[in-house]
Order: sequence, then structure tokens, then C-alpha cells
Amino acid sequence: MLFEVDHGNAPGGGRRRILRIQLLALLPVTLVALVNSGYQYFQGMALLPGFDGSDLRSRLADFLSANPEAPGLYDYLAVGVAHVLPMLLLALLVGGFWERIIADRRGRPMEPGFLLVALLFVLLLPGAAAFGHIIFGMSCAIILGQGIFGGEGKSFINPALLGIAMVQVSYPAASALHPLWNGMAGYAGSDAIALYHRGGEQALAQAGIDTWSAFIGAIPGTLGTTSLLAIALGAVLLLVTRVISWRLLAAQFIGLLLFVWLVAAFGDYSSNPQAMPVHWHLLLGSFAFGAVFIACDPVASACTNPGRWIQGFLIAGLVVLIRVANSTHPDAVIPVLLLVSLLAPLIDHAVIAWNIRQRARRHV
Amino acid sequence: MSGSSNFETRESSQLGMLGRDYRGVHFELLCDTGDRVRAGVAVMRDARRPDILFTAPAAGRVARVVRGARRKLVALQIEVDASCEVAELAAPAGQDQAAQRAFMLASGSWASLRTRPFGNIPDPATQPAAVLITAIESEPMAPPVAPVIDAFAAEFSAAVTMLARISSAPLFICHAPEYRPAFDAASGARCKAFTGGAAAGLPGRHIQALCPIGLAGAEVWHIGYQETIALGHLLLHGRPWAQRIVALAGDAVLRPRCLAVTPGAALGELLEGELQDGSQPILVGGNLDRQPLATEPAFLGASQRLLKVIRAVAEPAADDIGALDMGALIPGDWLEANGPPGIYAVPLMRALQLGDVERARELGALELVEEDVAALSRACVSNSNYGLLLRQVLDQLESSY
Repeated sequence: MLFEVDHGNAPGGGRRRILRIQLLALLPVTLVALVNSGYQYFQGMALLPGFDGSDLRSRLADFLSANPEAPGLYDYLAVGVAHVLPMLLLALLVGGFWERIIADRRGRPMEPGFLLVALLFVLLLPGAAAFGHIIFGMSCAIILGQGIFGGEGKSFINPALLGIAMVQVSYPAASALHPLWNGMAGYAGSDAIALYHRGGEQALAQAGIDTWSAFIGAIPGTLGTTSLLAIALGAVLLLVTRVISWRLLAAQFIGLLLFVWLVAAFGDYSSNPQAMPVHWHLLLGSFAFGAVFIACDPVASACTNPGRWIQGFLIAGLVVLIRVANSTHPDAVIPVLLLVSLLAPLIDHAVIAWNIRQRARRHV
Repeated sequence: MSGSSNFETRESSQLGMLGRDYRGVHFELLCDTGDRVRAGVAVMRDARRPDILFTAPAAGRVARVVRGARRKLVALQIEVDASCEVAELAAPAGQDQAAQRAFMLASGSWASLRTRPFGNIPDPATQPAAVLITAIESEPMAPPVAPVIDAFAAEFSAAVTMLARISSAPLFICHAPEYRPAFDAASGARCKAFTGGAAAGLPGRHIQALCPIGLAGAEVWHIGYQETIALGHLLLHGRPWAQRIVALAGDAVLRPRCLAVTPGAALGELLEGELQDGSQPILVGGNLDRQPLATEPAFLGASQRLLKVIRAVAEPAADDIGALDMGALIPGDWLEANGPPGIYAVPLMRALQLGDVERARELGALELVEEDVAALSRACVSNSNYGLLLRQVLDQLESSY
């Protein structure tokens, strides 16, 4: 059902299939988010003696009888569910609410795309994001990200990306006394990259981050972005089913290699940001998640093959540039993706104009 | 005579000439219902360009003229009667261009030439920028080209020589890399091999590669390989080729195979005893156009080489643009693989959806007809029929061309 080509026989049939694949591709990432937020919660508790665990989500974790003394997989999962599920339910509720209103106003049935938007949005949030911020961000995502353009697939930016960007811009210093805010640079994602900038690999090691833990995702960060392994699994499914463009994905990763090499070759070796090797660029922060699930969204990316290559290199180049040159913005993925999404129609325009000129030359 | 093919022959008692095979022609009848006509005699002509004749593919009696909306000709039905004779056609009067064209016009084979842009019958007074013979078939299950041309090698070669002389433009034979048809090298025709999946057999692909069309007013003419053989048959034997090789395929067909049938054969008669019981068959005109052809009157189309009969499934209606439920176009890169080669699929689809005639032309719409974008309609999730949208754009371009 998933792999057969059934586009378009029933109205919306092809769109439903794409949505199913996109949701399924996010499954590994979601599972890691559940387990890892439990793990990070117990890790963070040890560092926060003042934390009393009286907030709603901690009490929900207690209710699920998570044991902080000798935590096992069940306890991690229970805490993860207690933190992720309320956020996801709230995001779905808000998304469904606006989608319902927009569908009513437009006289069309509700479209299921808000499910994907809500999941992506939550996966880009820290594990203890404030409920009010979720309502605000999700409302922006559905109304400004797709509702005003006419519905799913008619916008030119990914709605979840817009929602996250709005939250990041509106609450830049948001942080609470909570274990899951540990190691976070507000809503802007993990501050592991800032940590590297300050102290190199030793600083990472002190914070308990090594290559393996970063690969499987046992590091602090926004919910879905920690595990390169889970992201790779989702990427394979999306590539095999051709939902995302391999060119755009390849361009981003090749671009990352290239620009990191350029910075290392011509940069200042004494500074940590410029000496940061490419595997840390991939493992820390949300580059991989953004590259696979946000940048490759077919609706919000360039629609010509040369345009896809250009867009991918542009994303990689800007991410590396901001990470290296702007220490106040260690992750940089969300603002770059937003900027390049806005540029994608322009890139296409240039590619098409060039193509038309070439065609005009060889016509009879 | 040469070219008795090895294909199983199927005679028909009824045959028809379909108006929809000839776009933009206003038919003027040259016979009446009940008239007996000889094979190869003109039964219709184009009222606007009276030089263009349409000849009876077989001898018989004109049984019925079916007209549709605004008295448009739907079909001219002929009851085959073998006792009627065949009109012998004189060979071309000379080697020059005018004589060659006069022969093609008089024999009715001019009507099997098509132009790009627009897919019309070319005006006999104009000159093309190139002439293409489509000797390649990329549609799955369509009859193989090689055995057909090999069986009629003399006819094919004679027709190539003639087609090279109908204009001063180059003549290209577009073929598959594994089969290069034999022809008289003195004709000056050039060969070009094409690969590349389902689009490799489409004239749009060949034109894109060999002679792209701009707005300078140039035309490319193209003709199918079986029409080329039919022309050669007229040249060598003076009478029309009373066969077309078609493939019978699809999951409702009992024995899929190639058949030699009469041009314009009635489909009901042709498919009798060939279909599985109990299935509700619908006929689709091959994978690339998918129009259900079961509607009356059902005759083999002039350029139809594949009779694909499948069991009824929910197919979107051919004339359903889906304006009410036209979902968003999701510009994934799978569309690129289904689009016409060398043309940016998504920008073209957007231009067609918006009816942006100028942008569609700039992107290469003049090289295309419906069959070139049929795969896009199936691959796109927006339920748009790009064939219809393209034709609307082409109609607007044609009125200002």
C-alpha cells in the first residue's frame, strides 16, 4: 500500500499516501524523542537540586510510577510519554481547531495535513516547552503557514518551520527551572555547539556527549533532532518512496562537507568554531533533522533540479557560515531554512529564466 | 507481393473512419450513405483545404455517417464488401517535390502526417523545418516495431525515399538503439536512436532533441512507421495497405498477442471471443492516453496500435478537469521523471493550471500534445488533466500563431 504507485485515482488519494509516508518516516525520531526525554529528565534532575517536580508533566510522570532511583527503559518511556504526549495533544488540538475553522470558512472538508505539522512542530521543541508557547506557535503555523494560502500544499514555506521560527523569535530567552531545559539554548535548540565553541571536545566530554551518544541521540536537544540514526532511518524511507528529492538532500550534505572543509582550509585554526569537524556539525544541533524533514518538504522547496542543487548548497553554506561566524546563534538551522524557503521561488525563477533563454537560442 | 506478414489476420465486416483522429478538420463528404466505394477512393475532404483527401481503407458500402454536437463528424462507417474493386493509383508523375506531394494528397496518405506544434494535418502549401518518422514504440505492450518493418522492408524503404523528397528539410528516422530500420541510403534520411523509458517513443521527445520549436513559425512534421509502410504500399502496389498491426493486451484479454487487422476495424467485432467472461471490460487507448474507448461508435483509431482492455476500475473520467476538487500540486521530483524530457515539469504544470499561455510557450508547450503530458496527469496528486489543460493553451496559441 505504501510503495505501490496509487497516485490520484481517488480524489486526494496521492496526497494521503504522501502524508502516510511522511508520518511513518517520523516514527523512529518520535520513539527516540520519547526515550531520550525520559533519559535527559533523570540526568537533569541530578544537576537541579532545587527542582521539586511539582509541574503538571512531572506529576503525570509520577502518576505513571516512573522510578527516579534506578531508572530503566520503562521509567524513561513513562517520563517521555508524560512530557511529549501532552505537548503533542495540545498541538493537535490547536491545529485541528484552526484547520476546522479554516475549512468551514472555505467550505471544504478538513485536510489531514495538520497532523504532520503538529508532529513536526513538537519534535522541534524542547521537552518542557511552555503550553502557552505551543498554542501560539501552532496557531501561527496553521493560520499563517498554510491557512491564509488556501490549505496544505498551497503555501511556500513549511508551516511547522514557520511556527517554530515564530516561537524562537518571540521568546528568545525562554528557559525554566526544569531538567529538560538543561543544555538548551532557549527555543533555538541544543547548546552543544556553543559548548564546543567555548571548550572544544573537552567541554563536550564534560557534558557527557561523545560521538556514539550523539549518533543514537542520548544528548540534550530539541525532541526530534538528537538522533542521527533515527533521522537516517526516516530519510531512507522518504528517499525510497521518492517523497523527497535525493538531489536536494545530497546537495545539503555535500554542501556541508564542502563548506566545512573551506572554513577549515582558509579559516583560523586556533578558534574552536572554525576547527569544528564535519561530523560534529552533523551530530550536534538540528541540521540533519532540518535537512531531511523540513528543507526537503516538496511543497516548500525548489521545483527544478538545478534549483534543488542550488537550494541545498545555499542551506549548507549559510548554516556553516552562521555557526562559525555568529556565536550567539550556535545552531542556525531554523532561521536558515526559513530564509532559503523564502528564496526557493526566486531560485526557481532564475533557473527557469535561464532555461527559457537557452531554449530560445536553439529553436527553429 | 512482398510483405505478407507473419501476423494472425483478422478480417472485419464493418470499419469506420473517426473524425477525432484528425484535429481541426471540417469534413466535407464526397459520398452519400448507401454509395459503394472502392478501396483507396476519396470519401471525404477537408472543407477548408480541399486538397487534403481522406480515402476509404477498404472497399464496401457507406453504411452510416455519425454526427455529434454542432454536426461535427464523429465517424463514417463502411460495410466491407469484397466484391467491390480496388482503385488503382497512378505512380507519382515525377521526382520533384510537387509531384510527390500531389501523389500523397491524392492517395490520402497526406492525412497521416502530423505537425508540431498543435498536432494538425500539415498545410500542403507549407514547408517543414524537419520531417520525422517515428520508428520506435516505447509504450508497454505495444506491437514490436522490428518485425513489422522487417516484414514490409521494401514498402518502408520506398516511403522513406518519397518522404525525403516532399520537402527540402532533413528527414529523420527515430528508432530504438537495438533496431535500426533498413532504407535506401540515397534518400538522404538520417537515423537517430532514442532511449529513455516511456517517453522514448513519443514524437515530442524526438522533436525536443532534433528540432525544438520556437515562435518563429516553424513546423516539424512527423509520421508513424505503419503510416510510412502504408504510403510505401501505395507507391509499390498502387493500392492501399489493408492491414494495421495492433497488439491485444490487458488483464481482461484471454490471449494477448499481435494481430493484423483492417484499418478502422469495428472494435466489438474485433474483440469478440477475445475477452474473459464476467469482467466488465473497458478499453483504454494504451498507457499513454487512457481514454476509455468503449463509447459508440467504437472503431480502431487511425494511429492506435495498442488495444488494451482492462477490467473496470475506478478511473477518473477523461473529460474531468477536476476544477471543483483540484487539490494542490505537490512538486515532488517524481514529476520530473514523468514529464517530457528537457522541459521543467512543475513550472509547465503550473503554467498549464493557471492557463498562462505565454509561460507555457516559453517552457516548450509548442513541442507537446496531449500524449506527452499524460504521464504527468497520472503522477500528479492534484487530479488535474494536463492533456486538456495543454490543449486549451495550444488552442489559444494556435489562434495567434
